[in-house]
Amino acid sequence: MKHRTDEDLARLELAKSRLAVARGALLERSDEELLESLCRVLELWRDPNSRWRRRLLAEHPDRAGFSSQIVRLGLELGLQHWSGQALREMLERELAPQLAGGGRAVSPFPLTSVLLAGSIPMPSLLQCLLPLVLRSPILVRSASRDPVTARLLAGSIAEVDAELGRCIEIVSFRSDNRRCLSSFLAADCVVASGCDDTIGEVSRAIGAGQRFVGYGHKLSVAVVGQGATRGQGLAELVSGLSLDIALWDQLGCLSPLAVFVIDDDASTAVARVGEALCAELALRQRELPRGDIDAASAAAISHERSEAEMRSASGRRVSLHCSERTLFSVICEDDAVWRPAPLHRFVRVHPLANGGELIAALQPLARQLAGVALAGFGDSRSASDSSAVLTQGLVRLGASRVCRPGRLQAPPLAWRRDGLPVVLPLARFSDLEAR
Amino acid sequence: MIAEGRAAIEAELLAWMREGAWCEDEERFDRLARALFAFQRSSCTTYRRFCETRGRTVENVASWRDIPAVPTGAFKEMRLRCFASERTQMVFRTSGTSGQRRGELHLDTLEIYEASLWRTLQELLFPDLGDSRRPPAIRVLAPSPLEAPESSLSYMLSCLLQRLGSPRSGFDIVQGTVRVDGLIAAIQAAGDNDESLALCGTAFAFVHLLEALEKRGIELHCPEGSRIMETGGFKGRSRELPRAELYALLSARLGVPEHRIVNQYGMTELGSQFYDSVLIDPSGPRRKLGPPWTRVRLIDPESGREVAGDAAGMVVIHDLANTGSVAAIQSADVARRVLSDAGEQLGFELLGREPGAEARGCSIAADSMLARE
Repeated sequence: MKHRTDEDLARLELAKSRLAVARGALLERSDEELLESLCRVLELWRDPNSRWRRRLLAEHPDRAGFSSQIVRLGLELGLQHWSGQALREMLERELAPQLAGGGRAVSPFPLTSVLLAGSIPMPSLLQCLLPLVLRSPILVRSASRDPVTARLLAGSIAEVDAELGRCIEIVSFRSDNRRCLSSFLAADCVVASGCDDTIGEVSRAIGAGQRFVGYGHKLSVAVVGQGATRGQGLAELVSGLSLDIALWDQLGCLSPLAVFVIDDDASTAVARVGEALCAELALRQRELPRGDIDAASAAAISHERSEAEMRSASGRRVSLHCSERTLFSVICEDDAVWRPAPLHRFVRVHPLANGGELIAALQPLARQLAGVALAGFGDSRSASDSSAVLTQGLVRLGASRVCRPGRLQAPPLAWRRDGLPVVLPLARFSDLEAR
Repeated sequence: MIAEGRAAIEAELLAWMREGAWCEDEERFDRLARALFAFQRSSCTTYRRFCETRGRTVENVASWRDIPAVPTGAFKEMRLRCFASERTQMVFRTSGTSGQRRGELHLDTLEIYEASLWRTLQELLFPDLGDSRRPPAIRVLAPSPLEAPESSLSYMLSCLLQRLGSPRSGFDIVQGTVRVDGLIAAIQAAGDNDESLALCGTAFAFVHLLEALEKRGIELHCPEGSRIMETGGFKGRSRELPRAELYALLSARLGVPEHRIVNQYGMTELGSQFYDSVLIDPSGPRRKLGPPWTRVRLIDPESGREVAGDAAGMVVIHDLANTGSVAAIQSADVARRVLSDAGEQLGFELLGREPGAEARGCSIAADSMLARE
């Protein structure tokens, strides 16, 4: 074990040395030349026929536990709008105002360490690309569930621009290898994703002179008005929602865990939405099979289903719409209380009388709220429940994204994850005052 | 013959709990379990309706294995009891922060509860403490029942302390803080008097104690024959330790060998508890054992059927000591059977997710999140 630890540390230090050398050339690159290369990398990844996309599709599902259909569609939707042009526009929006007038310059961090988490490729792709835009070499530790994405991204960068390819290094070490972790976290800028405990632990290891950008766990929900609880509106709602739930097996921070139905007769509307959503999830299962799950995850689903059965048996208006095994579960609740969410396509549908109740129900989760899929408020009966008013309430809660169902898993490249700008948190500036 | 009515079941159970040597006695367990099922199904409306949705009646439950199990989460949502509320003597509640729903076990008698816990402690935590041995000093790293009147752990350890502890026994958590100085003095006094120690408490409290000892650079040496019993997880706490690491640190700092450190697996919703086997079978594999009036089934959560061999399954416990609520409990824990070389079932091993294990996604189970609020 000690031998392995020492080897990992030696490899890490060697990678850092190579990045220090590569940095020299990176600093000499022109803005346009650098950006052009990174745009070409993005375009490579957008192309479903590029060898990098095909390799990710071939290697990722087994390691991450997703079906290949999920990875294929998830990448297709996710990368749809992540074009070179989108990258340029995002940079223009975030950096140009900072640099306007020539009195300020980007001062690239000598090294950015990126600690990846989870098994969804999209955030990993972006996090490993952005520091290069700012001329900072990147040291990446992949997540144990996804050792593929960062490695392939590095390969694609090297293919497009060999010199730039030398500015990204992928390392691996066990999470309990303190010496490796300490060396890894010694970078001038550290970006980390993970559960809140991990983010807390990493942040405590960061010194005052270092930059730290942490992305903790988040969750998303859907909010549905009466325009989407019947007829064509309902059909469109469950089509979109089922996709949001099925993609990445509900493991992403943009996966909805709960659906809140605001309706004059909310209980009846909840039943309609629940039944329709269950039917649609059954279709999605054929199109996008859920990945295998471990016994603990299946036990959590089984437990929550039984618990809902017990509440139903106690006389509560609770109903279950589930697959035979644990493939998907829709629980129609009779209140808006938050209960455990076992993930892996397990969703609860809650009744609400109005928007005020919605805000109260979401308040305990405000700090974790990422995305909200909103539908059915176009012809709202009440001015207080109009789409604009609800959106304002959600913004005040801290939701970082409000969109229509079916689009949750396709955030634009410029999406301010956790409410933060995309590239600005990674940038360091020097103000150049006139003598 | 099926015992009729709860009183008859409890009388037979108490007699079983007071027997000298433990005996699995499958026939007796099955008979009592089915009798208790019949009583609980008729006395608890919610449970009866739940059984109806599962198509289970007294007539078609041919074996205790057919009895429907209630999920532990249900104890947070409803009062599952088979007696009138005015007869309630004690309510134990699961731990949790304000605003969180807490599971509740309602009891109208403590006789069975105490008989079960005492007999199990004797057998599995103090198997080496015959009548001739001096009572140990029991130091408790949990709040006393005065501070935590709803904690089943505090109640259990208080019973233990009163029945078995030497005068040097006591509670070492006061107002939420481990009294490190007092505990150190007690350990040293036990050593001076050649009195064995039993340190019992939550894993989280032991972590705090270890941190305090490390800060002071103190290594203690508990007298020979001492033991540690720890229980509970770290959910929502500030520091997590893998159990192997915790045991290594406890052994190094307190001088108690790892083979005398016992994990207790219990739930507020249960009347009985399970303990590591290390004290009654030091040479065998570490696994969980419980009293003969309990049974553990490991269920494939996908199919609902019992798993075969040593495959992982969801833990379902049938605990006859739960006479006043529901005896069959479904947890969300996962375990596997520990088998002998000949394939005989020796006990079970919990397969909890190790602290720090990576999640697959960036979403979060709402219960984990709420635990931190």
